[in-house]
Amino acid sequence: MNRAILKGLLAGIVCASGLCAASFAHHSFAVYDQTKTQTLKGTVKAFQWTNPHSVLWIMVLPDGGGAPQEWTIETTSPGVLTRSGWTRKSLNPGDRVSVEFHPLRDGSHGGGLEAVTLLDTGQRLQAKFGAAEKPGLQ
Amino acid sequence: MNKLSLRTGLLTARLLNTRRLAVFAACTTALVAMGLAATSVRAADKEPINPAPTLKDYSALATLPDWTGTWTPDMTDQIKQEKTNPPPWKPEIAKQIHKMYADEEAGRPFEVIDHCFPTGMPSWMLITHNAFEVLFTPGRVTILGEGDGNRMRRIYTDGRPHPADPDPSFHGHSIGHWEGGTLVIDTIALLPQVYLAVNEAVGIPNNGDMHIIEHLHLQGPDTLHDDLTITASKLLAKPWLTTRTYYRQRARKYEIVEGVCPQGSFIDAKDANGNDTFAPITFHDNVPVGSKTQ
Repeated sequence: MNRAILKGLLAGIVCASGLCAASFAHHSFAVYDQTKTQTLKGTVKAFQWTNPHSVLWIMVLPDGGGAPQEWTIETTSPGVLTRSGWTRKSLNPGDRVSVEFHPLRDGSHGGGLEAVTLLDTGQRLQAKFGAAEKPGLQ
Repeated sequence: MNKLSLRTGLLTARLLNTRRLAVFAACTTALVAMGLAATSVRAADKEPINPAPTLKDYSALATLPDWTGTWTPDMTDQIKQEKTNPPPWKPEIAKQIHKMYADEEAGRPFEVIDHCFPTGMPSWMLITHNAFEVLFTPGRVTILGEGDGNRMRRIYTDGRPHPADPDPSFHGHSIGHWEGGTLVIDTIALLPQVYLAVNEAVGIPNNGDMHIIEHLHLQGPDTLHDDLTITASKLLAKPWLTTRTYYRQRARKYEIVEGVCPQGSFIDAKDANGNDTFAPITFHDNVPVGSKTQ
């Protein structure tokens, strides 16, 4: 067997197991374009409350019509989010939301969350790394 | 009994006694020698033990400063420190750092906290976004973190030295002692791959000889300072002195939560039998792009 084919097959096996060499759950948010903020309205498909980063999936109706498209909006860890006033039930499937996020640079349907507003209640939740910069917070 | 018999008997008794004494002395000498030998063998082979703590040991903990609660990092100051007091990188290392900053700016960040490895020391204290807690038990201070895998530091305060040849690890081998209200921590034996990082996208492996001395102390009632002196001859032109600040939270909602890093690469799912399971998320480079499993 050709060595390149073998290498490709091995990489495929590793990726199929969810452990792609280039996929790391913990990464810098510099992958998102911090100079741009994009806003989208959609419906929560799923919200994953996990370390090291939590993830929000929303279904967005394209401006030009057509089937809803899935967007993946990543945010920080449950510990940091809790200290910003979130709980694991802050976002639930079916919730109508408006999300503000720093987009992926290549135009893929993803971004790093800045804030999310629940359209039915008006509640606005922010992802703030520096949410606990003084002692004795309540 | 006549006189001769008496003398003979006394002489015999003396001889016997002398012999007994001689035998006794010889036996005693041999036993002592054997005992000493056994003691010295035991001393050489004896593994140190951790004696059971006493009430006095536990009571002594009450004399230490109160570091209970959850400590949250001052992120604003962390970023300010990065900009105003950078490590004294060696020229050849500074070139790598310069490129990392350029890559970060361009949206191609180098991943310091990759593979879900622990951030390691000293980067945990330097660049963490997450909180930690400090536990005191007799002979030991333990620091527990959150956010990614195995953030835990064991700092031995029982007077032991570093081992002669400790196994390298992400957090190294730490011994500490108290100077008043300051915990002085000496850390060696870090894996050479462990980064000296100034943010999540800028850091260099220590390459083998990093040594960290920390002075951890309250700087006010609810502010903890970690004054670090980092020596890393492969990276730094001279030791780097820097400080990080953390704030105490007592509200229970701030308590440390479990952080299992690989969990973030999976989504809740059901298997073919309807059992709850984890299914891998689709990734695009380092970021998740789809809720669909691969």
